[in-house]
Amino acid sequence: MRASKTWRCLLLAAAAAVLAPLGLITLVQAQSQARQPDARRGAVIAAQGTPAGAPACALCHAFNGASDGSGAFPRIAGQSAFYLAGQLRDFASGVRTNAIMSPIAKALSPDDVADVAAYYAGVDAPFLPLKAPDAALVKRGEALAKVGSEERRIQSCDNCHGPGGAGEPPAIPYLAGQYANYIAFTLREWQRGFRKNSPDAMAVMAKKLDEQEGSVLNVEMG
Amino acid sequence: MAQRLKPVDVVTIGVGLTGSLAALELAETGLKVVGLERGAPRYTVPDFQSPAIHDELRFSIRKAMMQDNVKVAVSFRNNSDQTALPIRRWESFLPGQGLGGSFVHWNGQSFRFQVADFIYRTHILERYGQKFLDACGPELTIQDWGVTYDELEPHYDRFEYLCGVSGKAGNIKGQIQAGGNPFEAPRSREYPNPPLKEPYFGAIFRKGAESLGYHPYPQPSSNLSRPYINPLGLQLEQCVFCGFCERYACEHYAKASPQTIILPVLLKNPNYELQTSCEVLRINLDSTRKKATGVTYVDAAGREFEQPAELVLITAFPLNNVRTLLLSGIGKPYDPKTGEGVVGRNYSYQTTGGPTVFMDESININPFMSSGAPGTMIDDFSGDNFDHSQLGFIGGQYVGSIMTNGRPIEFHPTPPGTPAWGLEWKRAVDRHYNHTILIQQHGTSAASRLNYLDLDPTYKDAWGQPLLRMTFDFPENDIRMSQYIADKVVEIGRAMGGKIVVRGGTERPYTTTVYQSTHNCGGAVMGSDPKTSVVNRYLQCWDVPNVFSLGGSAIPQNGTYNYSVTIGALTYWALDAIKNKYLKSPGPLVHA
Repeated sequence: MRASKTWRCLLLAAAAAVLAPLGLITLVQAQSQARQPDARRGAVIAAQGTPAGAPACALCHAFNGASDGSGAFPRIAGQSAFYLAGQLRDFASGVRTNAIMSPIAKALSPDDVADVAAYYAGVDAPFLPLKAPDAALVKRGEALAKVGSEERRIQSCDNCHGPGGAGEPPAIPYLAGQYANYIAFTLREWQRGFRKNSPDAMAVMAKKLDEQEGSVLNVEMG
Repeated sequence: MAQRLKPVDVVTIGVGLTGSLAALELAETGLKVVGLERGAPRYTVPDFQSPAIHDELRFSIRKAMMQDNVKVAVSFRNNSDQTALPIRRWESFLPGQGLGGSFVHWNGQSFRFQVADFIYRTHILERYGQKFLDACGPELTIQDWGVTYDELEPHYDRFEYLCGVSGKAGNIKGQIQAGGNPFEAPRSREYPNPPLKEPYFGAIFRKGAESLGYHPYPQPSSNLSRPYINPLGLQLEQCVFCGFCERYACEHYAKASPQTIILPVLLKNPNYELQTSCEVLRINLDSTRKKATGVTYVDAAGREFEQPAELVLITAFPLNNVRTLLLSGIGKPYDPKTGEGVVGRNYSYQTTGGPTVFMDESININPFMSSGAPGTMIDDFSGDNFDHSQLGFIGGQYVGSIMTNGRPIEFHPTPPGTPAWGLEWKRAVDRHYNHTILIQQHGTSAASRLNYLDLDPTYKDAWGQPLLRMTFDFPENDIRMSQYIADKVVEIGRAMGGKIVVRGGTERPYTTTVYQSTHNCGGAVMGSDPKTSVVNRYLQCWDVPNVFSLGGSAIPQNGTYNYSVTIGALTYWALDAIKNKYLKSPGPLVHA
């Protein structure tokens, strides 16, 4: 308990430091909503969770959204608020199933979702120094990601995810800088039906990749 | 001296839609088929991938996918009294070049023609009489196709399932279907895929059209609404509404094209050989001039080859089918003075154009989110769906909001009175870009004895052969038709809530400097009388029975609709006859 309190204090301190340049935060898709998402409130949720029982996002994703680099948790810093909020809603509804994220998302109110998405969308986190991946894997992944494969009718990832995987916000997430293990993991989720929130695009695409390609692809992106 | 190659069973001149479809059907029967394509090979991966494929300057403005008119242009004039000049920049129509042909850069607008279109002359005479037709224009040379809708229906069906057309049936075996087009010709079953999602401009059009009592329906599209595996086992993806469809190739495997629906199977067939960058100069005939012996072509290195073949299929762009016949001396060239001869006769086009509807700033259209065939349409004014007896013209147009893109170089609607450049123009573009709806009028073009194709007496191509010369202006009939419908469509624009509605409609003279349509039609038309047709009802040349001319050149006069799916159906129809009749007993399939 004590340790967790200390942790929380540290996070709050970090929050104060990060909140200074909040002018950068983009408030996406707010024009038709009466309530504007509150990124400051989102930062507090990220740091310490909610009274309703959602734990702090920072516990896994870090307060700056860079997560821990293991790939067990995706990088979410600077991902569009539209996309992040959509994923949280899908975790809650079960369109996307995940034993960790689904109960957390269910514990968040619609305002919590909007606020925390707005917060992470506005964070510009540094990239963690990671071990250089196998050059041959990167080369193979790059060919698939940037060009595709005619023989197997795999189009390039960049067609939708933007040049070099930079993303096509608000709807389509960036892949560049995302952790290789996470991309491999989530491609398997598509293949096996744990993610159903883009069945006509990503499920079809993921099923064209074999197990090795799942990892290859991602090394390049990471 | 041409190098003589090993004889094959079949050669196709062009490898686009008709060339690849025909080659597949025949290679599967065991025949050796060679496909000669004048352009380059190209495939979804790597040639059509982003970001290079979304280069608007390269593809839309500089027409990178179109026929290389530095090498082979088309010359043009409005009438026989003028001197034709070569078209140096494609604008009015865009003939494709390269593997897959124009069926790569098409929009995927996937209509069938109507029952009356195939028996057009008979239908008009029965309903309105000869006197009425004469009053519409004594120069009109409309005629029946020699094939009926019912005969083509199974082939339409087969082709739609090959493409994975996304739409909603309006008439299944005579039963009108809610949500579809009540005017459509009866189909044997539903489309293979449901219609695309309706964009906002379509929803506004739907509401406006319905309020006036018209019958809106979703445009059938070969940009797919969902993943689909076609009967050849080829998987297509879902269209993402990227806004780069016509004039572009699809990077997503989401648009039906030879590359996505035919070629992967054809190219694996050991009986098929593809040759690219090969310019066919002519079809060779034997001394009787009633039998083709093969073709002569030049490869990219300038070497000349003779490819002997038992069966020659002309499968180029319609204009080039006609030119190939003329260059080869097959069929009697049309003479507008005497009205005799057939090759080049009944060249027709397509009437297009429609109003621009400027909306309030609170209405956000987002035109950049679009596919090639995202429209909501009505057929109330198509073909002969309305009574013409008091109108003094034949024909009609479909009307629909079909906004295929909001691309920055091409799309900047401004109301009349806006300066053409400068600060005020920029302000107007800013004001109207996202708040403007285009409505398309798209329809028939009646054939006329004044309009035709022949060989240019002056201008030659890079190989020293005469260019094709186009002599064309819209008949007054078509102008009256288009202007009549333009008035009706202005009313729809107002019912949609347009603040300013700028009237559309076709005018004379026809110009090649403004994009209108790539549905160049006729010139080697089908029919049941060799005096008024180049090919019989099976698209077989009357004069040289081992030559078939497949494609839009066979259409005797243009119907209301985009003709691609009809070309697919005609190709299957002809191939059915070739496989089941001609191959068993080579010779004329119809005796005149």
